Amino acid sequence: MAIIKVQDLKFEYQDIKNAIGGVSLEIEEGEFVCIVGHNGSGKSTLAKLLCGLLVPTSGHIYIDGCELKAELENEENDMLRRRIGIVFQNPDNQFVGVTVKDDIAFGLENRQIERNEIIKRIDEYSRLVGMDKFLDRSPESLSGGEKQRVAIAGILACDTDIIILDEATSMLDPKGVREVLSVISNLKHKKTIINITHNLNEMVLADKVIVMNEGLITASGDVKTILENEELLKEANLVIPDTIKLLNMIRDSKISEDVEDEVCQLIFHR
Amino acid sequence: MNSVVFGQYYHANSWLHRLDPRCKLVSMFMLMIGVFFIRRLDVLALLFALAIILVISSKVPIIKYLKSIKMIATLLIFTFVFQVLFNKTGNELYTFNFTLTYFNLAAGILLLVLFFVLGRLVKKLRLLQFLATLAGAFSLQMFWVYGDVITPYSITIHDASLINSGIILVRVLILVCMSSCLTLCTKPTDITLGLDKMFAPLKKLHLDTSIFTMMISIALRFIPTLINEAFRILRAQASRGVEFSQGGLIKKIRQMVSLLVPMFVIAYKKAADLALAMEARSYIPGHDRTSLYLLKYKARDYIVYVFSLLLLAGMIVVRFVL
Repeated sequence: MAIIKVQDLKFEYQDIKNAIGGVSLEIEEGEFVCIVGHNGSGKSTLAKLLCGLLVPTSGHIYIDGCELKAELENEENDMLRRRIGIVFQNPDNQFVGVTVKDDIAFGLENRQIERNEIIKRIDEYSRLVGMDKFLDRSPESLSGGEKQRVAIAGILACDTDIIILDEATSMLDPKGVREVLSVISNLKHKKTIINITHNLNEMVLADKVIVMNEGLITASGDVKTILENEELLKEANLVIPDTIKLLNMIRDSKISEDVEDEVCQLIFHR
Repeated sequence: MNSVVFGQYYHANSWLHRLDPRCKLVSMFMLMIGVFFIRRLDVLALLFALAIILVISSKVPIIKYLKSIKMIATLLIFTFVFQVLFNKTGNELYTFNFTLTYFNLAAGILLLVLFFVLGRLVKKLRLLQFLATLAGAFSLQMFWVYGDVITPYSITIHDASLINSGIILVRVLILVCMSSCLTLCTKPTDITLGLDKMFAPLKKLHLDTSIFTMMISIALRFIPTLINEAFRILRAQASRGVEFSQGGLIKKIRQMVSLLVPMFVIAYKKAADLALAMEARSYIPGHDRTSLYLLKYKARDYIVYVFSLLLLAGMIVVRFVL
């Protein structure tokens, strides 16, 4: 059964009509899904709706078969929302704790987990993201990539089933992106991951890519079919990666099938 | 070692640093109340000696304490001087006779001008410079009587007023020393933690202090971030030609606006983002939370509690019984 099921979801901001204009989708447990789309296509809004930070105007969201209700102050809803973790775009603005240790502990403290267990989990998950030597550091002394890794550790420590990355790498330098990506790729198929991104290297990791435009899903499928559909990418105002352009050129000029296959393998790691 | 060192905190390894923050807060509060009971200079001097012992045993450089005293030094000196001059109680102690003549009036004004000119060159120790100027002007009126006399006048010092102003002076000094002891030897995060644990029982009375302490700890977390942002904007505006250090008052205010408006926008954005991030990590204001940190009283904390209670009792006895 799908762990996330969305039916005809609609959402309006006060000044933006149809921020989400009727979205339906299903995500399987353990799946790695990428949502792509240009700025203002509604992908971040969708992420916030999925973790219950926004209340949909209409439509239904089911997490593991239970519906996320419209009213937010609700015991059952809280339990449901605790199954989803989200990493936001700006590494600075989501660092709640005064130190790395405090920040990883924040979600655990809210979930009223025992102190000994908190200490154990801090130790375990800071090591998993390679931040175990920085536990007493303050956010000012960390790079963006390190802060995002701490944010991921904070969510992993809460043991959520679903992790949403809302453009988590978009404000990082190349080194930071690499660090975060290596953490994410290690999580593949261990957790259900929804990655909202522009980065081609991240799309390549995904089992399924969903393209959003103007608050609607315009396409979904595996990376290769999406990326090779030039028309679709243009329509969604997305930049076609140079590597894909190259691949298409090679294909069009019909040099040799071997070269084509090799380039294809290089791009999609397959 | 913890790198969260902002605010006043100075890292050292003294018994004051190791004390439980709750113990420090409560003891400090008791002693401060006690100091207000005392109206005898000799007892206050004794308490001041105690405060000095605290200061020395904290292993924090004395200069740090002097800095916090310096902040209120102007206020202290002026209240002291005005108290002594205008509070006429008790026996006469000494009378200063002054004669104001045209010559030493002019000399006085000249000294004042000199003071302002000197201020352009030497920016340090302005208070001392000012006091020296005043002392110079008045000593001229005392010893250098020359030219046409405008008016002679005298100032009388009374012993009770001298003692009264001394009491105020020493009392404030004790308070500053002790509160600096607290802020220099306790991390801001520890103070928040201590407050959180201390007021946690109030929840039974439907007074929820956890929201308040959460606010303090978030403020502490964001102070350095906002300071960094402020410097970033300062540089950005400077690169667009805003000169923050020049111009008159009105120009300076206008320049500050170019810093403050973006700062407010940034602060609001950060707050909105942070609120989302906290909610996403299932923070619900007022709900019970567990804590990573555990505060545990040790023997030394109890000793300090007993000692400060005794001291408070002693001070009340001195005030009301003796």
